Amino acid sequence: MKLIKDKVAKLSFVALLVTVTAAMFYTPTASAHGEKSQAAFMRMRTIHWFDLNWSKEELKVNDTMTISGKFHVFAGWPETVDKPEISFLNIGIPGPVFIRAGSWIGGQLVPRSVSLELGETYEFKVLLKARRPGDWHVHTMMNVKGGGPIIGPGKWVTITGSMGQFTNPITTLTGETIDLETYNLSNTYFWHAFWYALGLAWLAYWARKPMFVPRLIAVDSGKADSLISPTDRKVALAFAVGSIAIVAMSMSSTNQQYPVTTPLQAGLLRGMKSIEMPAPTVAVKVDDATYRVPGRAMQMTLTVTNNGDSAVRLGEFNTAGVRFLDAKVTEDTTGYPDDLLAEEGLTVSDNSPLAPGQTRTIQVTASDAAWEVYRLADLIYDPDSRFAGLLFFYDEAGNRQMVMVDSSLIPSFI
Amino acid sequence: MSASQSAVRSRAEAVKVSRTFDWLICFTLFFVILGGYHVHFMLTGGDWDFWTDWKDRRLWVTVLPIVGITFPAAVQSIFWWRYRLPFGAVLSVLGLLFGEWVNRYLNFWGWTYFPVNFVFPSNFMPGAIVLDVILMLSNSMVLTAVLGGLAYGLLFYPGNWPIIAPLHVPVEYNGMMMTLADLQGYHYVRTGTPEYIRMVEKGTLRTFGKDVAPVSAFFSGFVSIIIYFLWHFFGKWFGKTNFVQST
Ligand SMILES: [Cu+2]
Repeated sequence: MKLIKDKVAKLSFVALLVTVTAAMFYTPTASAHGEKSQAAFMRMRTIHWFDLNWSKEELKVNDTMTISGKFHVFAGWPETVDKPEISFLNIGIPGPVFIRAGSWIGGQLVPRSVSLELGETYEFKVLLKARRPGDWHVHTMMNVKGGGPIIGPGKWVTITGSMGQFTNPITTLTGETIDLETYNLSNTYFWHAFWYALGLAWLAYWARKPMFVPRLIAVDSGKADSLISPTDRKVALAFAVGSIAIVAMSMSSTNQQYPVTTPLQAGLLRGMKSIEMPAPTVAVKVDDATYRVPGRAMQMTLTVTNNGDSAVRLGEFNTAGVRFLDAKVTEDTTGYPDDLLAEEGLTVSDNSPLAPGQTRTIQVTASDAAWEVYRLADLIYDPDSRFAGLLFFYDEAGNRQMVMVDSSLIPSFI
Repeated sequence: MSASQSAVRSRAEAVKVSRTFDWLICFTLFFVILGGYHVHFMLTGGDWDFWTDWKDRRLWVTVLPIVGITFPAAVQSIFWWRYRLPFGAVLSVLGLLFGEWVNRYLNFWGWTYFPVNFVFPSNFMPGAIVLDVILMLSNSMVLTAVLGGLAYGLLFYPGNWPIIAPLHVPVEYNGMMMTLADLQGYHYVRTGTPEYIRMVEKGTLRTFGKDVAPVSAFFSGFVSIIIYFLWHFFGKWFGKTNFVQST
């Protein structure tokens, strides 16, 4: 007997382990720090985020902040990634530390998936309401079906206060104001507890009498029918009929209590309004581009032609959310995250104003530790070693225009 | 201790030992079933069970009873044919729900802070009780599969309706109409579950107008019948003692 007991005990232990593992196994992804591990070409050749602004760096629970800006859907979208025909404007945060109180593309609310066009630029805004205290890295993010999450720049935001104070009041179309944070919770617990108790009662009814050994002996000796008494049958019938009756009654009383219900809303939103971008008057041709591994710098030879009527200078190169600026031309005033900003990272061989009608060939160097830190240099190990980015030219009046560059990149190891 | 020697010396002792054995087996089985059923259910039912904005009138109603009748059917066949104990389905569902609640409460709420009113599991108990009673009263696998399988599918939606109906109250939000469940899905950010992977309200039942839930439930019941047969046989095969060397 001891032997059997030991075996059963051992088995129980194994079973417990299995259970614990199974139950503990799944947690919805909480981390949003995939940005650096994402393939460099995904970040450089898909969605280009720019003009980003995080409205606050510190806020209290229940306060709101916005992340706004624009994104350009790169026309040379890589073939290995599905086109953004079904995309969802998300936000990269570690779980619901904020709630997403609203999100808009081109002024249209986008709680559902949208269809984006290659080559277009869109304006977006995400409204966040602080829920859980802590320091959180808040990223822009676009999920693309068949392409996965495309993570944009992130900035640290601090939430203070306590989560217990968080409320989420919503007024329904039936005129009731509820707190979505706790709404329907006691009702859920009640019904689950009720049915669980009923299941336990059914189990307990059979567990009162000896279970396995004597019943197995009876079944094996052909006396199976004697194991179920007429009382058992009556009790069983009561359980079944009772269960069905409770389901029917609770359903009809629910319908009385909630006469107005609608199905879940789903479906793709099409026709997102993009920004009408004026055709750039600056034409740029990439003659060659190299990445110098030891210097952590990218060098481009560009032939720039100014077809406009005002002299222009190159002020910024932006790729994968990293901004390389020529401090003599432009500076950041929005509090852009430090690690993604190279305020003097852009060196141009001749950045004197390029007069209208002129053409000039320039050497442009974009150097910063961000190439390493954000693993953009890994680009040279990508199957399609190309880079892409946005160039911003400024005219004398401070007007800005955006030109896309897209070219192959040759690594240089010396 | 040799195998030929009896472990007990009196009838009273035998009864006592047998009873201890009952509890040990019950305890062990509860967790073994829980582990297997829970993993199976997460892999097949997954997101439909995790989030309220997946609990729709079409796919949730159809998919969950089909993937949920598996273990109850298998465990029933062992418990009934070998011991004439009619609680296989209920025991399975008790295990599953226990595991689900531990998971949702500790991981979804405790670890990731999704509110419980957004991530609670689905209720299978009414169908499980009816399934057990039908097998017990009919003593027939075919009848249990047909009647019980259908009942399992049909009872699922109404059995969960008192819990999810309050979340289907509509709201107007920034110029769009959505249900509170949709709003939960929108508010409580899931970076790994973008909206487009949500499989809800899809299908070809458009001609039934607004009464799609009963149609989906019937369809689910029919498929549950087939799955019941399949898993009942799995259970029978698994419950064989041929693996154990007899002494
Ligand atoms: Cu981050």
